[in-house]
Amino acid sequence: MMLPQLVVSGISTGMLYAVVALSMTVVYKATTVVNFGHGDLVMAGAYAAFVFTAGLGLPFVPGLVLALGVLFLMGLVIERALIAPILAGPHLALAMMALAAGNVLRGAARLEWGRETLMLARPYPQTAFLLGPVVLTMDDIVITGVVTLLLLVLFAVFHLSPVGKIVQAVFQSQRGAALVGINVSAFHGTMWGTGAALGAVGGALLALNTALTPDMGAWTLVRGFAAMTLGGFGSLYGAVLGGVLLGIMEKLLGFYVSTAFIDITAYVVTIAVLLVRPRGLFGSGALRRV
Amino acid sequence: MASPRRHQRRLFWLLPLALLPLPLFLDQYQQYVVNLMLMYVPVGVGFNVVVGNLGQLAFSNVAFFGVGAYTAGILMAKLGLPWWATVPPAGVMGALAGCAASVPALRGVRSFALAIMTLAFGELMRWTYIRSEWLTGGSMGMAVPASDLLGWRLDLEAHKFYVFLVLATAVVIATDRLLRSRVGRAFMAIKDNETAAAAMGVATGRYYVLGLAWSGFVVGIGGAMYALLVGHLSPDSFNLIELILEFAIIMVGGLGSLVGSVLGALVITATPEIFANFPGFEELIFGLLIVLVILVLPRGLASLLARLHPLFRDRYLEDA
Amino acid sequence: MPALLELAEVTVRYGGLAAVDNVSFSLEPGEVCAVIGPNGAGKTTLFNTVTGNAPTSGGRILFRGEEIQRLPPHAIAARGIRRTFQQGGLFGELSALENVLTGLHTGIVSGLVGLLLRSRRALAAEREATRAAYGLLQRLGIAELAERPARELSGGQQRLVEIARALAGDPPLLLLDEPAVGLSPPMRAALEAVIGSLAREHGTGILLIEHAIELVMNLADRVIVLNYGAKIADAPPAEARANKTVLEAYLGHA
Repeated sequence: MMLPQLVVSGISTGMLYAVVALSMTVVYKATTVVNFGHGDLVMAGAYAAFVFTAGLGLPFVPGLVLALGVLFLMGLVIERALIAPILAGPHLALAMMALAAGNVLRGAARLEWGRETLMLARPYPQTAFLLGPVVLTMDDIVITGVVTLLLLVLFAVFHLSPVGKIVQAVFQSQRGAALVGINVSAFHGTMWGTGAALGAVGGALLALNTALTPDMGAWTLVRGFAAMTLGGFGSLYGAVLGGVLLGIMEKLLGFYVSTAFIDITAYVVTIAVLLVRPRGLFGSGALRRV
Repeated sequence: MASPRRHQRRLFWLLPLALLPLPLFLDQYQQYVVNLMLMYVPVGVGFNVVVGNLGQLAFSNVAFFGVGAYTAGILMAKLGLPWWATVPPAGVMGALAGCAASVPALRGVRSFALAIMTLAFGELMRWTYIRSEWLTGGSMGMAVPASDLLGWRLDLEAHKFYVFLVLATAVVIATDRLLRSRVGRAFMAIKDNETAAAAMGVATGRYYVLGLAWSGFVVGIGGAMYALLVGHLSPDSFNLIELILEFAIIMVGGLGSLVGSVLGALVITATPEIFANFPGFEELIFGLLIVLVILVLPRGLASLLARLHPLFRDRYLEDA
Repeated sequence: MPALLELAEVTVRYGGLAAVDNVSFSLEPGEVCAVIGPNGAGKTTLFNTVTGNAPTSGGRILFRGEEIQRLPPHAIAARGIRRTFQQGGLFGELSALENVLTGLHTGIVSGLVGLLLRSRRALAAEREATRAAYGLLQRLGIAELAERPARELSGGQQRLVEIARALAGDPPLLLLDEPAVGLSPPMRAALEAVIGSLAREHGTGILLIEHAIELVMNLADRVIVLNYGAKIADAPPAEARANKTVLEAYLGHA
């Protein structure tokens, strides 16, 4: 009976996709720009975590927090310097700019670490537990636990705090928010920073399990898109649900249908959903058809 | 018509003629680089038709490139066809891939959604190359056998140069005629104002398919050229990094401009060869270049040239 | 002989709201019919049903006896129904001449192969079209703007280019959505002359949304008045002007 095992590992991977998709959705909701360079921000987050922990010898949690801070600044700077000036322009330029910014990050990472295979050291023992028919690795627990905690914190901030109310207001109507005196352009920068930092969490979690390479961004980007598409573009809950669903689907299809699906579920889901039901499960029709 | 236009048409013939003696002055390596530039001309031209002229965010160019390259390679390796015989099939397969890529556009998918979808399509193609080991050699890649053109050796860079020159010139001239006709106007109309285009009787669906099929055809031919030039095909050559290189070509050259596609191909392909020893430097440079172009010179190098001389003026560079 | 254009009980619903409510009328060749009414009365939506840009929730639209309400916009345009838009109808990046040339798109017959090989036929077709496009610009007095990109032109000039484009190919039915907006008095005079001659000499059927009263009084054979999507009058201009219901509709919206 593989089903429970598959679902559990699927949730674990899915949580990773969820945090990446969420980070991309935050950016999208704030500026309606799809950040094609976001995968590379995730990669940068992973490398930043590496630099602070393995490189500078800091313990894991402070190292990670510093990495998040660095990525926040990175996201902020990218938005202010590169995106804000062209925000009113054609979508192609925005897509290209995001892609190019990611490219610069990737090139820099490859220049510095391209020839080495690096891993982010786990700050926890690599053990596993048997829970009925299911094997739960520490990795599964940590990833699921961290992401769930993060989601709860974000939920609390978003719905209960005054900051969260401002965010909600701007997400609903930028013009309305501006009328009420909210500094929308500062908001844009902050949200890109937040999205980058969230992406960095995903990057760090990913790097605990897999090798750090400059190319991990492309892998992440496509899966982030798939999760966002499945859940519904522009929906925060959709991003999370889409991510988890994607993770589960990959494992189930990969076992019951063909191992090919471990790789291609993301591509197939993206194409199928956009053709058949573009607004995904919970979308509002943000990526509207003509 | 207007004089600069006639001169421009002549330039498309004269420039290649003027380049004929080039192999006499270049060593094998330099000639290889020039051949690489010529190979990227159809790739850039095809991409620009879709992104610059039709105005669609179809990021499927690498898929067309790969399909063309693998078609040529497989026909040569498995069926023993000479290279020149694989060029038309490579184009046709590219065109078919273009038709496939037009399906989402026909269903009304636009902008970022189209970009994401075509990206997924490209990755799916790459996965296909990796998984079809019996056909493509999988992730180890496949070797492309040496070939000749009816007895004339094609393993010499100089010989490849002449063949590539003919192909690149043919592609540029044919695309020029296409863009100057009612088809080109239809493309631009759709890009500018799709509703109004339909109101003028332009069957927009047909032109999506035509634009993407033409792009696929031309880029597929570029793929066949790649197979001959590089002699080895591997799935990793057709990934996101390659896509960004092709973006750099059309953005730095000039979106929507045929002159720009050629310029971009010349300028950008020189770069990887310069930085071959520093992995990552090339991506850094391309990224910075694209950023710079978008902020400072949105219409690309061709717009600079157009300011200097009306000969290089293209339809899209009026406000250069 | 079926009417040039016939609307039979055409209705457009958005949710519970009827933007066009059970409208019926017909138009004959050579007739100029003005559609007027307060803002939001559904005039542009009505146009959009005819041109295929708005789906009908009920009723039929017949062009020369053929039902067209389910056809896509380009198919309707290809049958000879052309229009101008209230705003943003031009192709900004194309020149005035090229804008008019797109209007001739369906008329330029050339296969792809001929195009690529620059066959005599393809070249001749293109030359013909260019000549015709130029002629249309001349007719509206703006021939000197031919090579200018459309986005560089003034509002009034853009309007005239759009009208020239709509005239391309001699369409039997023309829908003009507020063509006189932004036009200087001499431009208006030119417009009036063109519309008048189209109707009287060419037999073009013209449907016109217009707020300028003198234009309506001078040109229109009939006036259709819409209010809240429904037709409240269909009569010659003088009669419509005096109609009590019409006056109330306008005053009620004032």
